This record gives sequence, structure tokens and C-alpha cells, in this order.
Amino acid sequence: MIAYLSNLATQVAIFGILAATLNFILGYAGIFSIAHAVFFGLGAYAGAQIALLLVPDVVLACIVAAAIAGGLSLCLALPALRVRGEYFVAASLGLQMVAVTLFSELKPLTGGIGGLVGIPLPTLFGVPVGVLPVALAALALILLATALLARGSFGRTLTAIRDAESAAEALGKNVAAAKTLAVGFACAGAGVAGALYALHTSFVNVESFTMDYSVLMMAMVIIGGTGTLWGPLIGTVLLLSLPAALAFLPFLPATEVGAVQQIIIGLAMTLLMIFRPAGLVGDLSRGQTTA
Amino acid sequence: MNDAPTIRRRGLVAAGLSLPFIRSAAAQQASGEPYVMGTLFPMSGPNAEYGEAFTRGAQLALSHIAADNMLRRPIRLQAEDSQALPQPSVVGMNKLVNVDRAVWVLVSWTASSKAVAPIGDRAKVIMVNGGAVGPDLSGLSPYFWNVIALAHLEVPVLVDYLTRHRNVKRMALVYVDDPLGDAILGQLRTELPKAGGQLVGSFSVPRAAQQFGPVAARVRQTRPDAVYIASFGAQQSQIIKGLRDNGVTQILCSYSAFSIDSVRQLPEAVGALYTTQKLDFESGDPITRRFAADFRARYNQTPVAYHANYYNAAYLFGLLARQLEQANEEVNGESLRQAMLRTRTFDLVGGRGTFDDQGNLMTQMQVNEIKGAGRTEIVQG
Repeated sequence: MIAYLSNLATQVAIFGILAATLNFILGYAGIFSIAHAVFFGLGAYAGAQIALLLVPDVVLACIVAAAIAGGLSLCLALPALRVRGEYFVAASLGLQMVAVTLFSELKPLTGGIGGLVGIPLPTLFGVPVGVLPVALAALALILLATALLARGSFGRTLTAIRDAESAAEALGKNVAAAKTLAVGFACAGAGVAGALYALHTSFVNVESFTMDYSVLMMAMVIIGGTGTLWGPLIGTVLLLSLPAALAFLPFLPATEVGAVQQIIIGLAMTLLMIFRPAGLVGDLSRGQTTA
Repeated sequence: MNDAPTIRRRGLVAAGLSLPFIRSAAAQQASGEPYVMGTLFPMSGPNAEYGEAFTRGAQLALSHIAADNMLRRPIRLQAEDSQALPQPSVVGMNKLVNVDRAVWVLVSWTASSKAVAPIGDRAKVIMVNGGAVGPDLSGLSPYFWNVIALAHLEVPVLVDYLTRHRNVKRMALVYVDDPLGDAILGQLRTELPKAGGQLVGSFSVPRAAQQFGPVAARVRQTRPDAVYIASFGAQQSQIIKGLRDNGVTQILCSYSAFSIDSVRQLPEAVGALYTTQKLDFESGDPITRRFAADFRARYNQTPVAYHANYYNAAYLFGLLARQLEQANEEVNGESLRQAMLRTRTFDLVGGRGTFDDQGNLMTQMQVNEIKGAGRTEIVQG
């Protein structure tokens, strides 16, 4: 049981990083990206290749993954500078589609649809180490960084951009720089999560980085509460632990187990959004209709 | 000092909360408790049709094992939904291995299988695949076995039949660009010239594609005698419809993925050919006849290769565990593997099969033709 809970906690920590970093651009800067799984994938492939070709050092894998995902975040930042709202959603959707195709086709780097197998277990300076403590440390660092950035002038700039971009620009805020930095930070964090995921599962392929996963990450943020520090983490815990908990229901017949679980999860999410539209820890005054 | 009582209280609460699980794990190891056989199939989403078919095969095998009193302990089937995706598969496999203490897990789907193979390998749990045919599944782990012929073993059989009996000289391929599709492309490139044919065109399609009009037009331009479809799941039916709707009237053919109902009941698929391991329900083989009769009686459905594969995958556990019980050996992944290596050859549904060194079950193959309304006919056994 401990091993099972440890695996679940590792996944919660990894997806918690993804939700927290997505929340940084979605909740604070108002950038509605549905391409976060792209940077998760970039980090996963980078981390996997480092482990396969060089050394499975978890810190090295995370640094390289963050650098690559953060560097390539310009692919997301550039459209974010020109369009917003539903137009940016469409732009990020395009990026997601291109990335999935590239992940499937760049076989020397990604293994294609077959993916990369046999990724060695992680080490830290040559000593074997579990992914869980590293993932928890990375999650704590990212939450700390998010809290510090959100409280400072950078966070206020992002919030101003989210609420009224033109007004923020008129007040002399460097909107382009703020958006680019925010996207860079979020994507680098997603890259770290990707590297940890690759080392944890010892296998990566494109099916873990599709739009379904981008939507799942967005659901984690929205259900927990956008623009809050702990909301995305709580959303992650809920969306990952609910299916796991339902798997323990003893009365589900073997051929119906998946369908019943999906119906329960879907109903729970719908009811949650009806009664807590701003998310579990979001501002209760937000999200509800006023009519 | 002041924190000590709090810590103790928290410790007691934590211990209390974990007690049911600790008891559960320990109890399962006690003698007389059921063996746990896990299934990790897609039970929701677009591939749930496969998961249901796989489960039915396994359930019938367990009922036969129980009816024959093969084992001293009963078997409990524990189903987990893989959604055919790596991440849910990892969660499900961890539960099966660490909570349910499964010693035998039936798996499917290439990506799902690859994701769980390291977990099973570390825990020394036997994983048996009867659905995925990607050639890269061979040798994933000493504990990962395949009871289905992998794709590269199916193509030569079909090429031989098509060139000899259907006078096919020119073949086109529509394939998903994954390890399975790549393997079939490679096999067609090497096998067709040997049989006097040629591959006149190969057209890769994205896994999520649903419209095949343009592909059909390009296929027609190559003037093939037959079109090989290397896809799986719901996409297969869409490709078949897309080709037929756009005037491709030539023979359609594929590997064992055409076994599913949604393809066999498709009017446009009538006349299509596909390979499976040998599975003649009217043969004199008593195991095959019993399987077919009981399957029809229980599910009111004619069984197909996937039902038989997972029947075999589950029944194999009964055969191996019986050996171990008779020798008073503990039934675990390692002892089951050793028993398999000692025995190698088993009488299963479809006939006698022999495992190779990498855990792949080698059986005879057959070519089937879809006759419509879910009926198929063996055209080469």
C-alpha cells in the first residue's frame, strides 16, 4: 500500500507542478494556454534523453528539461504578445497540434509513437534516489517562487495585464516582457515536471502529451481555483485521487468499471462547478452568474 | 516536549487509517485466500470495446479453471481501467502490484504495456499481453509475455495467401506511423517481392485522423489489387468506410485487429481478409470446442481471436499455478516464470503453442474472411 500511495503522491507532485505553473500564466496573467502538455512533453523527452544518453541524474535532467522547455516557451509567448482571449486559445491549440505531430515524427529524438523505453531509474550525484522527494522539493520550490512572484511588483503587473492589458500598458508596464517572463517560468516548470515524469515511469511517448492532458491540467487549475496558490494543487489531488479512490469500490463489475468511474468523475466535476464556480479555494464571489 | 502528544495522536490516527489496507495486504498472502489476477484494459473511452472483449475471454477462463478444480485456491479478477494511456496504466498497475498483490496481470495496448512493464519487472509480476501486436513488445521484460502473434509474424502469412490464392500482385498500405505500422511496412517491403508482388504505395495517416477521402484518392491512383490497413480501434472502420465510399473496391486486408465486432459487422468490410492465430472452432480440439461452446452460451456471441487470446492468457495461469501447487511450491511471478520455461509448450484454445525465449507464444496462423453480419470464415487454416 505504501508503494502505491508513494506512486500516487509522485504523480500528484508532478501534476501539481504542471497545474501550479499553468495557473501562473492562466490565473495571474490571463493567458489561456491549452498547450501546457507540449512543454511537459519537451521536458520529458529532454530528461529521458539525458538519462538514456548521459547519466540518469535527476537534477541534471531537470535543469536541461527546464532550459529546453523554457527556451522554447517563446513559441507560446510570441502569440501571447499579439492575441488574447479566445484568439490565443486557438493559437495555443495550433501549437499543441504541431507539437504532437512533431513528437510523433521526430523518431530519433522522441521514439515516435512508440516512445522511449528503458529509461534508467534516477540517481542524485551517483546515488539512487526516488522521484517522490525530488518532485516534492520541486513542487515546494515552484509554489514558493509563485508566491513570491505573485506578491511582488511582477505579480501585480501580471494581474493588471490579466484584468486590463491596455490600461496596464498605458501605465507604463512592459507587457511584452512580463508576459514573456511569465510564460518562460511556467514552461520551464512544466519541463521540470516532464523530466520527473520520464524518470518516474521509465517510459514516455506522445500519448502523455496530447491536448487531453492540456485540458486535464486546465481542469485541475479551474477546479482548484485559478489565481490562487493552493487551488491548483488541491485540484490536482482531487482529479488524481478520485479515480484512484473509485478503483477501490468493490461492487463495480469488471466490464463496467471504467464507464462507472468516468460517470462518477464527470458528475462530481459538474456538481463542483455548479456549487463552487470559482473552484474549491477560489473567491466565492467570482464565477457565478449575476442574472 | 509539548509536540509529543500531538505527534502520538497523529501517528495513531495515521496508523488507524492505514490499518484496513495493511490487514488487506497481509490477509491476501495468507493461505486459502484467492490468487489475484489483474486486468489492465481500456474500460472507458473509444477503446472500451476492446477492454470488454478482453475481459470476457479472461472471465470464461477463470470459470473453467474453477469448474475443473484446477487450483486449491480460487482466483479473484481485479479490473483496472488503463484508458489505453500510459499514466492511468501506471496508476492501475501500481495498485494491482502493491495493493491487490496480483501475481498475474493481463495487459493490452502497446503504450500501456510499455509503461507498466518496468513496474511488473521490478515486482516480478507476470504480465501477459493478448491484444497489442507491436513488434517492440517482444523482450520488454522476462516477466512480460505475449500470447498473440506480433505483427511481423502475421504479414508473411497473408502475403503468401494473397499472392497464391487471390492473384494479388500490387498492394497498397494505409498505416498509422507507429512501431506497428512501421513493422508492417517493412514486412510488406521484404515479403511482397519474395512472393512476386510489389508494394505500390504506402500512405501514413495520423492516429487521430477520421477523414480518409484524400488517402482513398491516392490509393486508387496506385491501382492496387489489395489494400492493407495497419491501424486499430475505431479508426479501422473509418478507414474501411472512407476507402469504400471513395471507390476503392479492391480486397481490403489487415492483421488480427480486424477481429473486433465493429469491423466484422460493418457492411463495407464484407470480403475483407485478416490474419489471426489458428482458431478453428469446429475442429476436433476439445479445448477449442469447449471454449467456443461455452463462450456462445455465456455471452450469446461468437468468439473471436481477442476472446481466445485472453482466455489463453488467463488459462495459462491455471496451468502453471497447478504445476506449482502440485510441487508444493509458492505461486509467485518468479516461480510461474520458471514453470513456463520448464514446460514451454501448452495446449490452449486454437491448438498447441510454444513459448520462445523472449516469452512470445508461437502458434499456427490462419487467414479469415469477413462474410457480413459479424460472420467470418477461415479461408486458409
